[in-house]
Amino acid sequence: MKLIQGIGIKKTFGGIKALSDVDFEVEEGTIVGLIGPNGAGKTTLFNIVAGAFAPTSGTVRFEGREITGWPAYKVCRSGIARTFQVTRPFGEMSCLENVAVSVVNRQSGISRSQWTTLAAECLETVGLSDFRATEARHLNVIQKKRLEIARALATRPRLLMLDEVLGGLNSQEVQESIDFIRGLRDEKGLTVLWIEHVMGAIMQATEKVIVLDQGSVLTTGTPESVVNDPRVIQAYLGD
Amino acid sequence: MKRYRNKFIYGAGLVLFAILPWTLGVYNQHVLIVCLFYTMMAASWNLLAGYTGQISFGHAAFAGIGAYASGILAVKAGLHPWVGVIAGTGLAALFGLLVGMLCLRMGGIYLSLTTLGFSEILHIVINNEYEITRGTMGLQVPGLMVDYSKLAYFYIFLAATLFTLVVVYKLVHSNAGLNFRAVQNDERAASALGVDVVRVRLLAFTVSSGLAGLAGALYGHYMLLITPHIPSLDQQFLVLSMTVIGGLGSFVGPVIGAFCLEILSEYIRAWGEYHVLVFGLIALIVARFAPKGLVGIYKARWGKSRPAAA
Repeated sequence: MKLIQGIGIKKTFGGIKALSDVDFEVEEGTIVGLIGPNGAGKTTLFNIVAGAFAPTSGTVRFEGREITGWPAYKVCRSGIARTFQVTRPFGEMSCLENVAVSVVNRQSGISRSQWTTLAAECLETVGLSDFRATEARHLNVIQKKRLEIARALATRPRLLMLDEVLGGLNSQEVQESIDFIRGLRDEKGLTVLWIEHVMGAIMQATEKVIVLDQGSVLTTGTPESVVNDPRVIQAYLGD
Repeated sequence: MKRYRNKFIYGAGLVLFAILPWTLGVYNQHVLIVCLFYTMMAASWNLLAGYTGQISFGHAAFAGIGAYASGILAVKAGLHPWVGVIAGTGLAALFGLLVGMLCLRMGGIYLSLTTLGFSEILHIVINNEYEITRGTMGLQVPGLMVDYSKLAYFYIFLAATLFTLVVVYKLVHSNAGLNFRAVQNDERAASALGVDVVRVRLLAFTVSSGLAGLAGALYGHYMLLITPHIPSLDQQFLVLSMTVIGGLGSFVGPVIGAFCLEILSEYIRAWGEYHVLVFGLIALIVARFAPKGLVGIYKARWGKSRPAAA
């Protein structure tokens, strides 16, 4: 079943075409990579799916239902969570409170002791248990990225959209992260749409890769077929 | 153990404060009552500005709505002042909701501009609707009790102030409070995590306006004369200065700011309107060099780092 689907998505900012006629789909229970050179429109596509802004034209469907132009909070509550490439923690709130924001908006009327437990569990899954009471602005970049993931997971999504979560990690940490994300899919049944520049991770973790270039889909396929595609190589390296 | 000790200290302080007016003359009793009025104003403005980051310049205007609504109902419709106070509070909250619906979607500077405009419009209407409001002459209104007593007013204001503080405390420490702070920290991240930003702001704005209406209504029935000075920008900036100097976004900050500035302004009354200017300057300096106000300075100097929130 197609969990999320975009049809003919177009986005212009003033006179600049960021996306033109993008079609894509993600099957339920898969991990799909979204790659492409800088400025290809990957994050713009994320923002449109997540409701940060509406597309100029085109349709987004989630679980068969049209969600085009829904505000971000509504998209989130319907089961789509995203992380930000440049992390956006609530700096003056503790890590636990950061995650609690997700929890209380998922389950309104939940008591303080309940959200404390749930938020603490989420922090534990990303290995931030020791930082429960730490204000988020004191975390380092890598910890902030983990916090982003914890907050996203705490909204209990069906689709998780990750925007470059591996940047700055060493190879062992990359491997741990890949295992973690695969674990989310295998154990919790999450579907993952993943923007990543670390190609090794895309090769290892994804079943399907969508390549964006200059605002449109260049090709879609298995990771092996995509990296061997001369058009993809050309898009990355230039003529 | 520490928790009980704190509770004991607060309780004892409150009892001492409640006894205090018995030892004071009429003038000082008046100063205390005005302090309590400003505490209500500053604490409710802080709910909006300090906890959700929305700077409204219409807080004095909402106090004015409370005062005039209650006063007019008492004078023209002959309603009991207490009924008027409740109606004034409700009307201020309703106006808050309407103005909020108009401009909160835009956020940021637009709320400030719209509330500034709203405040001026209200001022003009009050000045010109002479038959109803008595314009700059002021509207004479009945008191809250048959026999005028400063002590009785003191306890009414003390109760209303405690009510305001409890509402602010409960709200900030509820799940809605998490949303308030999330919105203040980063709107986009908050909405991506399921926070309905507009609704959160609207809630804070409505509650804050209603509490200002309550303060204004009580103040009118205490002064027995409602003038356009209540909903004036002078008052607005005084409340702003109190909150900023005391500590924006802290629970006790506005209380400290309100008491310090009101008592100080009694001493420099001779300067006339210049005292607002002086407070404005102090507020600017505080905002620049100690953005968390007196409370922030205290915490940085003598406070221990906060224990785990969980």
